[in-house]
Parts: sequence; C-alpha cells; structure tokens
Amino acid sequence: MLHRILALAVAACCAGVAPAVHADDTARKSEVEALRAEVAALKAEVEQMRLAPVRDTTGAASAAAAQPPATATAANAVASAPNPGTTSPNPGNAVGEGTTLWGYGQLDYNRPTARPADAQFDLSRAVIGFNHAFDESTRLYGELEWEHAIASAEDAGESEVEQLYIEHTLAPSYGVRAGLMLVPIGLLNEHHEPTQFYGVERNFVEQAIIPSTWREGGIAGYGNTDSGWQWDIGLVTSPNLGKWDPTSDEGRASPLGSIHQELQLAKAHDVSLWGRLNWLGVPGLNVGAAFFAGKIGQDTSRQFDGDANFPADNSRLLLGEAHVRWQSGPWDFAALYTRGTISDTQDLNLGFLGQPTPVPKSFWGGYAQGAWRALEWNRSSLVPFLRYEEFNTGASYAAQPQGLGTPALPTQRVWTAGLNYYLNPNVVFKIDYQNFRYDDVLLNYGNRFDLGIGYQF
Amino acid sequence: MQVRWLLPLGVSATVVAQAAYAVQYLTLEQAQQAAFAQGSRFVPVATTIDTAALGAPSGWMPLVWRVQRDAETIGWFFEDAVIGKSELITYALALDASGKVTSLEVLEYRESHGGEVRLAGWRNQFTGKTAADAVALDRDIRNISGATLSCRHLTEGVRRLLQLYAHVLAAKP
Repeated sequence: MLHRILALAVAACCAGVAPAVHADDTARKSEVEALRAEVAALKAEVEQMRLAPVRDTTGAASAAAAQPPATATAANAVASAPNPGTTSPNPGNAVGEGTTLWGYGQLDYNRPTARPADAQFDLSRAVIGFNHAFDESTRLYGELEWEHAIASAEDAGESEVEQLYIEHTLAPSYGVRAGLMLVPIGLLNEHHEPTQFYGVERNFVEQAIIPSTWREGGIAGYGNTDSGWQWDIGLVTSPNLGKWDPTSDEGRASPLGSIHQELQLAKAHDVSLWGRLNWLGVPGLNVGAAFFAGKIGQDTSRQFDGDANFPADNSRLLLGEAHVRWQSGPWDFAALYTRGTISDTQDLNLGFLGQPTPVPKSFWGGYAQGAWRALEWNRSSLVPFLRYEEFNTGASYAAQPQGLGTPALPTQRVWTAGLNYYLNPNVVFKIDYQNFRYDDVLLNYGNRFDLGIGYQF
Repeated sequence: MQVRWLLPLGVSATVVAQAAYAVQYLTLEQAQQAAFAQGSRFVPVATTIDTAALGAPSGWMPLVWRVQRDAETIGWFFEDAVIGKSELITYALALDASGKVTSLEVLEYRESHGGEVRLAGWRNQFTGKTAADAVALDRDIRNISGATLSCRHLTEGVRRLLQLYAHVLAAKP
C-alpha cells in the first residue's frame, strides 16, 4: 500500500517537474534520479520498520532496526556482536569494541629412526594474534609468539613479536601497511598455521631457503584487481650480513635465516624491496612469483660498533620465487621453486678461511606436493599426502685463490609421506615419515618419524 | 639501495592515505537491482527460524525478501554476514523462484586478507546451486589459496541460506 502511494507521489512529481525543465534533459534526469533515491530510502525505512518487531524478538541487532538495512549491517559489524552466521564457533573472538583475538599452536614429536635416543617432543609454537579496527579503514594486526614452551635466560625458548603493523585501506581494492610484516613470498610464509600445511614440520625449502616466518619492518602497498591479480610491493629492512657467523651451523641450515633481523634493533642503513604478483582468476588456482632484493652489507665497516675491516659493505641479496597451487575437489597440488644469490662475498669468505660456514654465493630449493582428501565425515577428514623436496643452502661459493675455494654443499633430497587428520577444519593431528638423501646430525637431517598436533582459531 | 630518492614516495603515500573509503563494494539496493530486473518488488519476509534444525548458530537472523513482479514470486533475496578470518563479511544471495542461486555478491569486506572472495570467478561457482547440492568447500566449491577461511565461511553461509529456503521459505504460500 505504502509503496503505491510513494510511487504515485513520484509519478506526480515527475509529471510536474517534466514540463518545467523540458529544455534541459540532463537536469531533468538528475532530478528524477534524486527523487528515485529518496523513494528508495523511504522504502528501505518502511521495510525496516516492518521488520523491526521480528528482529527485536530475536534479540539480534535490535539497535540497528531503526536504520536502513545497509547501514544497519555496517553498524552491526563494527560492534563485533556475537558472530552471526558462522557454524565454526571461533574463527575470531570479539574481546571488545573492534578488537578480535585469534591464534594457533603446534606441538611436534620427532623420532630419528637411526638415533632413537634423540627423540624429542616439543611445543614448537604457541601464538596469540589480535587485530583492532580503529575505524572502517584503519586496523592494527599483531601476532605474539612463544617458541619451545619456555623463554628465559636459562632456556632455549624464544618470545617474539611476529607481526605488528598498521593497515590502512585507501580503496576497496588497495591499501598500505606500515610496521613489522611477513614477507609475501612463497606459499607458506604468510599462511603458516599448522592447519594450512601438510606434514608435522613446515617444508624444508620454506625454512632453509626462504626463512621460516620471515618478516621485515617497513612500508608496503597491496591490492587486487577484479580479474584476479593480487599484488604486493614493499620497502623494508634488509638482512644484515654483518651478523654472519662462520663458526655456526646456522648459515648452513638457512643462509637468510641466520642474518635476517626481525626488527630487533635492526641495522637499517640498507633497505630492500619486495614484490609479488599472484593470479587467482580461476577458482582453485594460485600461480605467482615474488622477489626480495637489496643491499645487505649495512655499511658494517663504518658502523660505530661495526667491524672496520668488514669487506662486504656492498653485498647484495636477490631472492626470487615462483609457485603454483591447484586445489580442486579432494585434490591439492603445489609446486614451488626459489633461488637466492649473495654478491661480493669473496673477500669476506677469505677472512673466514678455516671456519666451517662461509657465505654462499647461491642457494636454491624446490618442492612438489600432492594431497588427497581420501575420507570425509561430518566435519572431519583424512588427507594423505606426498612431498618431494630438493634444496641446497650452499650451491656455490665465490671464487677464491687456487686451493682455498669452498666446494659446493651436496644437494639434500627429502621425501615426506604422511597423513593429516582434521578432527575439524581448525584442529589437526599429523603423522609422517621423512626420508633424507644424507644425514647431518648438526642440522637434524636424518630419516625420521614425526607426530604432530596443531590448531587454529 | 639508497633511501633518499624513496622519500618522496613515502610522502606522497601519506598524502594519499588521507583520502580513505570504507570497503563497501555494493550497497544493498545496488545488489538488489543487479540481481533482479527493473520493476521487481522486494517484500521483506519475517521468518521464525529453528536455528537448531538448520544447524545454524542461535540468534542467526538473515534479512529475507520475497521478490515479486505483480503478484508473482520471481525469486528470493537475502542479506547475511559471516566471519572471514576475524571480521564480518556482509553478502547478498539471490535465488530464482525454484530456489536456484542466481547471484552471490559481497557487499562489504573489512579485512585485507582473504578479500579475494569477491572475485567474480569464485562467486560464479555458486550459480545454479540448490539446497540439494553439497555447497561445500573443496567439494563442489573450489578454494582460493590464501583465503581459505573466508571461502569456507562464505560457502557455509550460502549453504545455510539454501537450507533456509528449502525448509522454510519454499513452503510459504
């Protein structure tokens, strides 16, 4: 009834307005548009008033009832009311106006088959994440992590801030970030929750070549397009080659992992650029590439507390990566290749002669993985998987005078076969067996059997 | 890399940052107009939902419209919200008179992570689905790598609305 009255009113208005602006077609059109908009707003209000009693009885969003539907839901959302419309109870937990908590954790049991005495059970990581919406376009994201259960002067654990950045949306499809951010490279670095990967441990390539949970501080831009492109670009702190310890195995385990700074009093003379381009235009497909490039010498020879004889001030890092992932029905296939180079290390390595770990000139790794959701019931599923990896953290070293050069490391090859059992999509129990091409006790390489527990909320 | 020449970049980024927009892709009215031909009427429907029977959380109360041309019902229109990773995604679903999905639109998305659910290619997977289909992620709906939680929760939301149609609305005169 009301609709008809309103429609008649509009018609009358239009009839009255039309002759007066006959000469100016565009002006008339815009007036009609304005009237249409008014009528639409009135309609929405009327509809909302009619709905109000119903919504009130449910106790949901009663405050929103007096507003037009579109604004009503916006108000609703900002207030982070009890989560409407999700059957998984806890993808995010409101703790106050605009603030949500989330987290994940991982417990691993490793048993080397040749050295059962070295079997170990570890609370690898417990993470609490939070985000806070200051307003519709500005947010804070943070992630706090404890590794190996206890962090103290006497213990091996670590307590760390894994991410902490402000994000500001400039338009629906792009925005900027500033702070400590995960490097958008590879398939795992940004999405490293244990429910997101197969096997008890993260794959070796994305630990040894791309450091595990690699983050740097700086500013970054991100965005996506309607055709499925996703882009990222950032200007961030560089690793610090001055940190390289030739006496330690760390540089052999992960060259970049041993010199990244994680924004802990980070040397910031040199900065790096990161970039990524992904294409997600076909559902189930992710194909993309990324790079991280910059100087990493940090002018160590000129630092107040640096090494005046440091010969690699101009050293540069270039890390490139390409990946593809295809998920369709019960199948999940992924492949990734990454390669890094560090320049100007000849003189530095000359000074490291006789030490076990010189700086590599190149390092690389790649893997291919297939997983199949074999069984599914209620919210549980069983997913066997197989992964093959090859990687080399010292594929070549800068040339040295005859007889002093460092031979390349052998390429490690690892097969991992296992099973992820998802009790529900957010809780996973894992089992796998890993077969290594060669053993290296110092780096924990050796055939082993693993069990794991992981969760995410 | 020398930082000096990058300073202007940072300054201009700061200036641009002042012009902020809320991340609303479509208004409800725009979504309604996109889903149904001009001249359609959207009549709000008050429903009492037995959330337990539908496997929905208690208090779940999507907005529902019966879409009419003259006296004939030509479809149904819903507005609802689900959690993405930690914040709400507001979306609209349109069904034809037989309960088949004709369109799924993301109205508002607040997080930057997982926003790829608004890609047309992904949303189009739902077109033609009915309450008889599985409408489950990694079964008849493909995932977007890196946006798993948003994909899963939005898929669950659509499935719930299809069940609401099948069990409650389809029986309405």
